[in-house]
Amino acid sequence: MANTRRTTKKGAATQTNEAMFAGSMPVASDLTPFQILAPDGKPVREDLIPDLDLVEDMYRGMSRLRHLDDKFMSLFKSQRLGNYAQFGGQEASQFGSAMALNRQTDYIAPMYRNTAAMITHGWSIQNAIMYWRGHPEGWRLPDTANILPVIISIPGQVLHAAGAALGLKAQGTGGVVMTYVGEGGTSQGDVHAAINFASARKDPCVFIIENNGWAISVPRQVQSGVDYLVRRSVGYDIPGYLVDGNDILAVNTVSKKAVQDARDGKGPSLIEHMTYRIRPHTTGDDPKAYRDENAEPEFWRKERDPIARVKKFLTLEKRWNDDREVAMVAEIETEFQAALEAADQVASPRPEALLEYVWQNDVWQIKEQREILKRRVAQMEGA
Amino acid sequence: MMTQVLEKATETKTMTLLQALTDAMDVMLAKDPKVVMYGEDVGRLGGVYRVTTGLQGKHGEHRVFDCPLTEAGIIGTAVGAAAVGMRPVVELQFGGFMMQGFDQIFSHVSRFRYRSRGRWSTPLVIRFPFGGGKSLLEQHADSPETYLMHTPGIKVAIPSNPYDAKGMLIAAIEDNDPVVFFESIYLYREPSARMDVPTGYYTVPLGQARVAREGSDVTLVTIGTMVHTCLAAAEQAAKAGIQCEVIDLRTVVPLDMETVVASVAKTGRVVVVHEANLTLGPGAEIAALIQEKCFYELEAPVLRVASFDTMPSPFNSLNHYSRPEAHHVAEAIKNVLSA
Repeated sequence: MANTRRTTKKGAATQTNEAMFAGSMPVASDLTPFQILAPDGKPVREDLIPDLDLVEDMYRGMSRLRHLDDKFMSLFKSQRLGNYAQFGGQEASQFGSAMALNRQTDYIAPMYRNTAAMITHGWSIQNAIMYWRGHPEGWRLPDTANILPVIISIPGQVLHAAGAALGLKAQGTGGVVMTYVGEGGTSQGDVHAAINFASARKDPCVFIIENNGWAISVPRQVQSGVDYLVRRSVGYDIPGYLVDGNDILAVNTVSKKAVQDARDGKGPSLIEHMTYRIRPHTTGDDPKAYRDENAEPEFWRKERDPIARVKKFLTLEKRWNDDREVAMVAEIETEFQAALEAADQVASPRPEALLEYVWQNDVWQIKEQREILKRRVAQMEGA
Repeated sequence: MMTQVLEKATETKTMTLLQALTDAMDVMLAKDPKVVMYGEDVGRLGGVYRVTTGLQGKHGEHRVFDCPLTEAGIIGTAVGAAAVGMRPVVELQFGGFMMQGFDQIFSHVSRFRYRSRGRWSTPLVIRFPFGGGKSLLEQHADSPETYLMHTPGIKVAIPSNPYDAKGMLIAAIEDNDPVVFFESIYLYREPSARMDVPTGYYTVPLGQARVAREGSDVTLVTIGTMVHTCLAAAEQAAKAGIQCEVIDLRTVVPLDMETVVASVAKTGRVVVVHEANLTLGPGAEIAALIQEKCFYELEAPVLRVASFDTMPSPFNSLNHYSRPEAHHVAEAIKNVLSA
């Protein structure tokens, strides 16, 4: 079936896109993802290169997050962490967007793959380790971090974001809410409900689609017939941005714009980050069952890595060298080890935690079940 | 039995259940600036049953407003709004439409506190008209309380009269836990259910049952519209010398079993009456609890009178065979006495 919108402008740009975003872009398109840095580290938009101190911060921030993701995977393998959802490959998408927020006034409504965005917005590494260990103390995020609960059943968080935006606007705080959903999650009706709700009311919310090509084993093409999901912004009459999600300069520039618009009362934006899940869905997943790990994923790891891209740029700018790299890695490792040691020293969960915080005040059933729990604990201790 | 403390509520006014609910929301909109009300039709129209009539005009469009037609969106946004400090009171058009937003209730409304170990909570109220007795369409007459009883972390209020409706709705809005609030379509404008209601602020605590009629022979445990059905049945039974005690649970979560147990200790015979269909309805849990807690006081098996295990019937001329009526309860009273 002919689609006039897509067939009008096929040409060189389309060819480039297909090569650039293999896997996460299903069909030819006349749209081109916004980019500031090319994969080889050379600027495509000299005019938009920010202060180099900021670029260095981005490089350090993403390196720290990648290190964390690697460490979490090895902790899982040595059974010191529970099942964990890796964000590896999506550092630019999450760090670049979350760093556009004001930690004091703004909120994140996260899903399970947003550890990187959450750390950026004030989650501590120690707390994150305990969360992924299933330790009750890890499930209470620091009171200073404006991060709503992590949502597992996608995409509940997108509606919470729209509601939090409603609430912040009603209270006149000037706050903005940012939320994330994968390309698979966009197939759920609640995403429509949320964006439509915020659009109708012009509430301060930024909706980010992290299009990483895969919903566990289901490729992007299966989710929708549209070329880019961000096309849907037209139907809500809100700004829509298609962004090279592995170019942190592009991600950050667009996020800042969307956040500022939301803060200024201009309503929500929809952003699609073209990125790639270079790792399994979670530590319980084996991608070899559904994709050739030596082909497309390897291309993204080697040729499209968001961290390597900034490093190449900083090296070209003579802002980075091996000595600095070695010093940074040592710093990151020291920080992580300190967090891990602190997490290891936290006492095992109290069994009582099972029955806490169901209601604010316990109903009698909870009180009765607490007595049962006490007996079971006593039996275990006696055994 | 109205023993609640009344604050600044010296004057009373005769109200229907519907008017009492409107009054409760008016009181809370004036009292707490964090209270907002939204849903489909609640703004200009005042709701499909006009329960929010006049509130937008009086309190402003920023406090009472219409929103897109999406139950998941209405409930899901209320979760986010409540988390950041608001007190949303949202309306669904009918209880039968709750399922379109039930994922948010089941997965998030009820779990934010537990999931975050108390960091976040969802102090919101979801109101909707429920129940049969009027000739309405399919999904306009459901009584879906069972699904909520099986979902830890929320409270479920089902008032049976105007005084309770107002006091319980105010308590629900002030409650730090989420409350799903059932409003009887049958009783909304029922003239015989009108009563004098204080005009100011007062609360009726959630989780305290009410003895609607005292008696020593049979305990009728019920809630909502069915309280009136049971009172009618009790009146009939009294003419035959049988004294029924009618317990209006008021809320199924929290469930006031103390009041039930005290009554069963007196009567030894129980009939549970509800509009929800029989299988695994509230009566299943209540009967199980009674046999656990009152086994040696029981003189007969606990009986249940409930709607048939169909969807609430849209076949209006036939529905009186299914939805409990006073004579169905009378038959159960007879059976529980002869067991």
